[in-house]
Amino acid sequence: MELYKNSAFELSQMIKDKQISSVEVTKSVFDRIDSVEEKVDAYVTLDKENALKKAEEVDKKIANGDRLSPLAGIPIGIKDNISTKGLRTTCSSKMLENYIPPFNATVIEKINNADMVITGKLNMDEFAMGSSTETSYFKKTKNPFDFERIPGGSSGGSAASVAAGEAVVSLGSDTGGSIRQPAAYCGVVGLKPTYGRVSRFGLVAFASSLDQIGPVGRTVKDVAMLQSVISGHDKYDATSSSTDVSDYLENLKSDVKGLRIGISKEYFSDGIDSNVKDAVYNAVKILEQNGASVKEISLPSTNYALSAYYIISSAEASSNLARYDGVKYGYRAKEFDSLIDMYEKTRSEGFGDEVKRRILLGTFVLSSGFFDAYYKKAKLVQRRVSAEFNEVFKDVDVVCTPTVPSTAFKIGENINNPLKMYATDICTVTINIAGLPAMSIPCGYDDKGLPIGLQLVGNKFCEQTLLNTANAYENIIGGFKSPLL
Amino acid sequence: MVKGYEVVIGLEVHAELNTESKIYCDCKNAFGLEVNTQVCPICMGMPGALPTLNEKVVDYAIKMGHALNCTINNVCKQDRKNYFYPDLPKAYQISQAEVPLCENGYLDILVDGEERRIGVTRIHIEEDAGKLLHSDKFDGSLVDLNRCGVPLIEIVSEPDMRSSAEAHAYLETIKSILQYLNISDCKMQEGSIRCDVNVSVHKPGEPLGTRSEMKNVNSFSAAVRGIDFEVNRQIGILEAGGEVIQETRRWDDTKGESLSMRSKEDAQDYRYFPEPDLLTIVIDKERIEKLKSEIPELPNKKLVRYVKEFGLSQKDASFISEDIEKSSLFDECVKDNPKLAKSVSNWILSDVAKYCNETGKKISETKLTSNKLLYIIKLIGDGKISNSAGKTIFEIIIDEDKDIDEIIKEKSLAQVSDASALEAIADEVIANNEKSVSDYKSGKTNALGYLVGQCMKASKGKANPGMMKEIILKKLEG
Amino acid sequence: MNIDIKHIAKLARLRIEDGELEKFRSDIQGIVEMVENLPDDIKDEPLLDPNNSMKLREDKVRESKYSRDELTKNAPHVTAGCLVVPKTVE
Repeated sequence: MELYKNSAFELSQMIKDKQISSVEVTKSVFDRIDSVEEKVDAYVTLDKENALKKAEEVDKKIANGDRLSPLAGIPIGIKDNISTKGLRTTCSSKMLENYIPPFNATVIEKINNADMVITGKLNMDEFAMGSSTETSYFKKTKNPFDFERIPGGSSGGSAASVAAGEAVVSLGSDTGGSIRQPAAYCGVVGLKPTYGRVSRFGLVAFASSLDQIGPVGRTVKDVAMLQSVISGHDKYDATSSSTDVSDYLENLKSDVKGLRIGISKEYFSDGIDSNVKDAVYNAVKILEQNGASVKEISLPSTNYALSAYYIISSAEASSNLARYDGVKYGYRAKEFDSLIDMYEKTRSEGFGDEVKRRILLGTFVLSSGFFDAYYKKAKLVQRRVSAEFNEVFKDVDVVCTPTVPSTAFKIGENINNPLKMYATDICTVTINIAGLPAMSIPCGYDDKGLPIGLQLVGNKFCEQTLLNTANAYENIIGGFKSPLL
Repeated sequence: MVKGYEVVIGLEVHAELNTESKIYCDCKNAFGLEVNTQVCPICMGMPGALPTLNEKVVDYAIKMGHALNCTINNVCKQDRKNYFYPDLPKAYQISQAEVPLCENGYLDILVDGEERRIGVTRIHIEEDAGKLLHSDKFDGSLVDLNRCGVPLIEIVSEPDMRSSAEAHAYLETIKSILQYLNISDCKMQEGSIRCDVNVSVHKPGEPLGTRSEMKNVNSFSAAVRGIDFEVNRQIGILEAGGEVIQETRRWDDTKGESLSMRSKEDAQDYRYFPEPDLLTIVIDKERIEKLKSEIPELPNKKLVRYVKEFGLSQKDASFISEDIEKSSLFDECVKDNPKLAKSVSNWILSDVAKYCNETGKKISETKLTSNKLLYIIKLIGDGKISNSAGKTIFEIIIDEDKDIDEIIKEKSLAQVSDASALEAIADEVIANNEKSVSDYKSGKTNALGYLVGQCMKASKGKANPGMMKEIILKKLEG
Repeated sequence: MNIDIKHIAKLARLRIEDGELEKFRSDIQGIVEMVENLPDDIKDEPLLDPNNSMKLREDKVRESKYSRDELTKNAPHVTAGCLVVPKTVE
């Protein structure tokens, strides 16, 4: 049985009805990994032994008639920047190649309490800095739709593994588009929750004020289910919100009657590929034909958001990554003749070029004489961006944009051109700057057959509205397509 | 003024707060435990760990802000101070830069009988760093992170002090206020209060001189030595026609000198920015007012009151006022008996202080009460017991909860003030000391003391010495 | 503006070899030029957000769930429970 092809929702019904066991599902996923991982390279670390052990436990609980969470027994892959106790957490960096966390991230505690089965740790851009997963120290993950192309990033492993059937669902993290952009490139569904919706405790920080963990799945329902598991206030994360969490699956709707959609011209500029524009406009038209209303809106500060994003995220990163100094954990240079020599060699040998670029940029924008002109100004621009969205959400429920200006590019194509690489984040970073929830769902294919992503942006804590819209679209078009491997 | 120069001093005091848990995690805030045992992923700066702010730290800092007459910023935030050092596991210290919790205050201190007002620029909250251990036998330094995350307040003064004596008085006053508020243990030997000193000198009427900052000052007496050294060093440079450079220096108290650490040119660039792991701190106005209502009368105010109201010397008044228990004992005793202030102060300065020193106990840990101390003082004043009997009683009641009248009875400590009994003793002593009597009569008046002493001895110390002296005198003259 | 990449690298405790210096300098220069488009008509004010404040933690000790060995097992060099670094004093 090719159980790995099923959605989490379907599998959970089958497990509940005792048609199949968690062990069978888990084995099917690992069989799939055995057959395609060589080509996809989605995982940094596999944990088959513990996964099967957990699956057996879940099956025992089911046999005992225990009441379990809806996702009990479902295999999930975890991005390798989310701390897993006893299972190495590398951030795809040489710096943390052998780092084994002594504690679990809060989301991992929640995944464990929900009795989900962790398959392993997924590849990513080093410390989540990148848009292609090419900056990983270990391997280059391939796009399951075309192995010569990147899967996007930084959560490239999270999107590629789900698209390729190497995990039923996965967790990624999104600082400037790192869940939505790879989801768009790999033709899967990804959600970046509102900042503060999901605890960051145990997520290895890139940019603390922008980072957010979120789910990736092949269907909207799966993403809704996983989002319910990971959401909620955490007293160990001072930035986590105590706003109520709803059961996203329970409340999931499939019609868009009365939904007010906003379209902002700032997101359809000349830099957007015509295939992408057409697909996004077409998706909006489908929603309109099914009862939604569409309104033109304006978000004039969008043009500043990419700058504000690179300044703020790099500044925070330069500070967050200063702790990797070869003293408490991680890589330490082999030879050195003083403390400073040890620091400099350790950090220069342990970090890759993209991480170094961000650290240098971040150090520069915070340094004496430049703070006001760069960092402080960027933070003030951030307020303006937020204020514009606040206005917009008085009139509309969802803003529709492309997730990425074009479809997946070839491996190596942009690696030596940071500016071109950064420009692919233009549609997604604004959302992190404003702290809003956003989803990417597949909305068509370009002339090469590569998936195109539709980004749905909602008001703070309105994840349900996004999921409802996405679910309606998925139902109307009859589901999303999986790649043929 | 020193050698024709005016001295300008500013101080930054770091005080560890005595909360139960650390500032950003729930590890125990304790001193002297085994290395790296009071740590967790948060204070060790493990990847993915996040801080949460201890509310007591905020409360304590606000109390200190009230005590130092500061404006309390009920909306403020925390910032990261970035630098690399092995005792700082995150490679940044969470502190406050742009908007501190408290600012624009002042502190009145008493120096040479004069009140001086020292400006307080700001008070902010931050975390302490770990410790580095060194040994000649070991080729490397050892890092103990237990102290990481111990809460600190940093109190920054205006450059308002003009001598090392003023700086010393300021530091002592800050320390006693911290103790009054019970927010810091103030144990110098454990490093729970430390200070950085900024010093400059200039000729009167000329603009302020270039300042140097001195770090690693670990006691108040070291601060005095450091300031005096630095003042002389700077004057020496200027007198020789040189120029003082802006730099950070390190005080070496064993060598008694300061050494250059780094000049302004390679000053650290701490790259402060708002701590993104913590949101804005907003404190209810009511909470701030409630904390204000909890502030007792402070030692610097008491000091001035004791000198002005009761005529105590500044030395005695500051000894009593700097400790909250001594001063409350004093205040309770003199409340309805202002005339006894001098006696009460003498008792506190001598017997009470001696007992506390010898036993290491605080007054609250003894059985002494203000009523009992007052009673002893009154009995002596009324001639009911002698001074030495009073001390005997004191030594008992400080350890045991016993009735004073009972003790007097038991130990027959009551003073003999019965004239006929005293006359009998006087007659006997005069009869047995003919030589002294004739000495006195021939003008050697100090023989009187000897005779009174003999009478006291004969009475086994119970005779009322004043009456005894009068009776002897009458008999000798008569 | 010419960015002093050596100084910045020193602050960040990164060692950039001479051969790489120009590449990093031009990369960072390019990024800085890209982000220089921020508007000038912005009022400067403290970076406070009173409408989004945080709850403070109660001052309560929780005994550590972690042994010293667990917390130091990832460290490259440990002696007698201490982390070891090159000598920091002469």
